[in-house]
Amino acid sequence: MEQATGMPSQAAIEAKNRLTGSFRRRGIITAVMSGITYGNYTAFMTLAMSVGIWSRFYGEDSGFTPFAVAFMLSALGAALTDTCSAVWALLIAAWKGKLGDFGRSFKTKPGVILAFAAMIGGPLASTAYVIGLQQAGSIVVPISALCPAIGAILARILFKQALTPRMMLGILICFGASALIGMSSMGGTEAHPNMMLGLLFGFGAALGWGIEGCVGGYATSMIDPEVSIAIREVTNGLSNLVIMVPILGLIGGASPLDVIGTALADWDSMKFFIIGGFACYWGFMLWYKGNAMCGAALGMACNGMFSFWGPFFCWVWIGLVFGIDGWNMPPVAWVAAILMVVGIFTIATNPLAIFMKKKEG
Amino acid sequence: MKPLNFAILKLFTDGRERSPEDVIEALKPEYGSFKALNKPEVLTSLMTAESNGLLEESRFELDEAGEVRMFFRAGAESIATINNYIR
Repeated sequence: MEQATGMPSQAAIEAKNRLTGSFRRRGIITAVMSGITYGNYTAFMTLAMSVGIWSRFYGEDSGFTPFAVAFMLSALGAALTDTCSAVWALLIAAWKGKLGDFGRSFKTKPGVILAFAAMIGGPLASTAYVIGLQQAGSIVVPISALCPAIGAILARILFKQALTPRMMLGILICFGASALIGMSSMGGTEAHPNMMLGLLFGFGAALGWGIEGCVGGYATSMIDPEVSIAIREVTNGLSNLVIMVPILGLIGGASPLDVIGTALADWDSMKFFIIGGFACYWGFMLWYKGNAMCGAALGMACNGMFSFWGPFFCWVWIGLVFGIDGWNMPPVAWVAAILMVVGIFTIATNPLAIFMKKKEG
Repeated sequence: MKPLNFAILKLFTDGRERSPEDVIEALKPEYGSFKALNKPEVLTSLMTAESNGLLEESRFELDEAGEVRMFFRAGAESIATINNYIR
């Protein structure tokens, strides 16, 4: 084994510090960008689900049962976005010469673990979230915002990643900010007969997303992020479209094949699903990559700003660009965004260290 | 043939330290046609693996162009982890 022959020069130390600093900055920017693209994905999926055939799906004369409207249509919207995202992922992987690695990685241990994590964070957590909202109402929104904290704790237990009291404080600030947006945008808490059941499902969703974030991030330290995301989206697109939508459709008394076929043939909404799928690709690819580069605690907190970016881009795209009413930003979201930045800084850096540095200077 | 990132990590299971340039040289015969086998992407892979405890930095120096060259290696525990995930 080669060994160091002496102390590195001052120039080498400075160059190395610049390189590691740049890597950390890139990690944080990647994770923040994941939240921004995730916000766009939310906006375009929401837009797609409010135009074309979807106006009829959600209309009073749709013929669907309330169950089919609540669960099957939600799953179908997610399935179409994920399927479009999977196509984008495969096209981008092919363009970058990584399609072969996609096939090779799928059959490996990290690939299988990633696919399972994607299913837990995808169809299972998303469905649990919708059920939670139905059963317990808006209180589920802040509960689900616990996912960065859960991801950070799981990453500490499973992968021995750093988790200091300061980082936990930062996560707590981000959680409070997400909760603030969730509560304000959904009309506060109200009494529901199945509150406890709903809370359990809401927590299940947070657990699912926490598992996906930390496992996906760790797997991405072994699998290329562009390959990881192709595995995620193909798994989620297929499992949603082939398993979840048909099951929920049959339970809800609808004909899933007819509904899927009608939705796929509707260009008015599909064009927005295609754009949403592109944003979804970047949202999750950068999420995995950011978590891998800067650890689950910081990565997931930066990504967690999607609870600001989601309403923000819904307001920009649906409200301002497409002129649909009812998409104004709640003023508290801006306050929450500042709180989130404070939370992220608290996780990423020790404010005392910055203070000490200034004092020394 | 393994995925490129797997091959990069697997190289380190012999316990030797390597720089990104060493990795590229070692993998060129089999992965020379891969677009991702370039210094920036290999370095990012190695630093990501380091962030996740799969590799550790062993030393660094300035290369002929005055750019820092980092060397990485895997400790015994990391070698066991890599071998557990990547056959």
